[in-house]
Amino acid sequence: MRVLFERTGGFAGLVMTATIDTATLLPPEANQVCQLVAAADFFNLPATIASPSQPDRFQYQITIEEGDRHHTVQVDESVMPDRLSPLVEWMLEAARRG
Amino acid sequence: MKKLKTRSQHPKNHICPICCILPPHITDRVILNGTESQREWALQALRESEQFRGRREAVGSIRFMAPAGSKRRTVYNAKNLTDLPGTIARGEGDPSTGDLAVDEAYNGSGATYDFFYEVFKRNSIDGLGMRLDSTVHYDRKYDNAFWNGSQMVYGDGDGELFNRFTISIDVIGHELTHGVTQNEAALVYRGQPGALNESFSDVFGILIKQRILNQTADQSNWIIGEGLFTSRVNGVGIRSMKAPGTAYNDRVIGKDPQPADMKNIYTGTADNGGVHINSGIPNRAFYLMATAIGGYAWEKAGKIWYIALTERLRARSNFRTAANTMILIAGELYGQNSKEQKAVRDAWKTVGVI
Repeated sequence: MRVLFERTGGFAGLVMTATIDTATLLPPEANQVCQLVAAADFFNLPATIASPSQPDRFQYQITIEEGDRHHTVQVDESVMPDRLSPLVEWMLEAARRG
Repeated sequence: MKKLKTRSQHPKNHICPICCILPPHITDRVILNGTESQREWALQALRESEQFRGRREAVGSIRFMAPAGSKRRTVYNAKNLTDLPGTIARGEGDPSTGDLAVDEAYNGSGATYDFFYEVFKRNSIDGLGMRLDSTVHYDRKYDNAFWNGSQMVYGDGDGELFNRFTISIDVIGHELTHGVTQNEAALVYRGQPGALNESFSDVFGILIKQRILNQTADQSNWIIGEGLFTSRVNGVGIRSMKAPGTAYNDRVIGKDPQPADMKNIYTGTADNGGVHINSGIPNRAFYLMATAIGGYAWEKAGKIWYIALTERLRARSNFRTAANTMILIAGELYGQNSKEQKAVRDAWKTVGVI
């Protein structure tokens, strides 16, 4: 499974990106990512979760490829579903490690 | 010739003109969705405004508002959670708390209030003495600050890339100016109007800093968010108004993506169509005109931008409209073909907007 993560916007307007492939992660980490994706019920999330923009909020775009399944979700920080935020946090840490 | 708007006609200005507590639709929403204490507070606010409304009817057209020049600041502590506004940490007139973020938010919002009041005779964000509410310690490792439509919110930063967001006074001015824009031109937060919205926040943010430091245009470094990056990041700040695209170049966060002119404008969809990216173009136009005019940048260039924001520009105004509007304003204020009007025109030409 591949997870492609991008965070844009925010006061600083920095683009933070991270791409991970569970095949190249250590088994405990790969397991953790799979659990976070399952907990988010990612493939059933709508493609766009938007709200009237509040200035300087973050925007996220997450794409997951698993076998022949492929789904992209765009979400505004202010309407982030609770079940998705642990996956976002995990990917953000990966992005910070560079 | 575009009709001059007055404040009372503005569609965004439906906030209770007497008490300025909260627009009724917000209190309604809190009553429906808020916690127990928020509901009680909202109902109390509504009761007070109903009482005021009755009083207004009794005295006719006289408008009550917070006394001009008096600040009403409250700083809340979210204690690393995301519930807003959080617990009260410092109210108006309270002494320093020793919590840097609390005290910086308090002092920075005060400096911003004083700037708008003393330079433009504007009584707070809405012009009617609106309370200045700030929440600090929002979320964990939160690398951001934002305006949520009714208050400012500041994160502590992750400590690796970012320090606390109250560290730089122009960030505080930037967030409060989003509130001013929301009440005035109400520039939509997307594409060129969104980049103008961002630019107005950077412009007044840096002017507030320059005024605190008593700097003329040529003495400022024109860096937005100086001190916000930790020492591990290779950068001087978040944005350079003087040389957009040069504020940072770092292994982890990459290179400052701002264009300095229209030839390099970003046309992608990220960041609401690049509102924090393309703001580099109007930001540089401001820098160019302010340094060409000389002296304190808030006195002339700042005045031209303030009139554009509060009286002329509309929700969907783009860069070209802003440029032409500011050339007109400069002519009205300082004369046709004055040095000031020439500076405004030359600046927008240099960045390729006209």
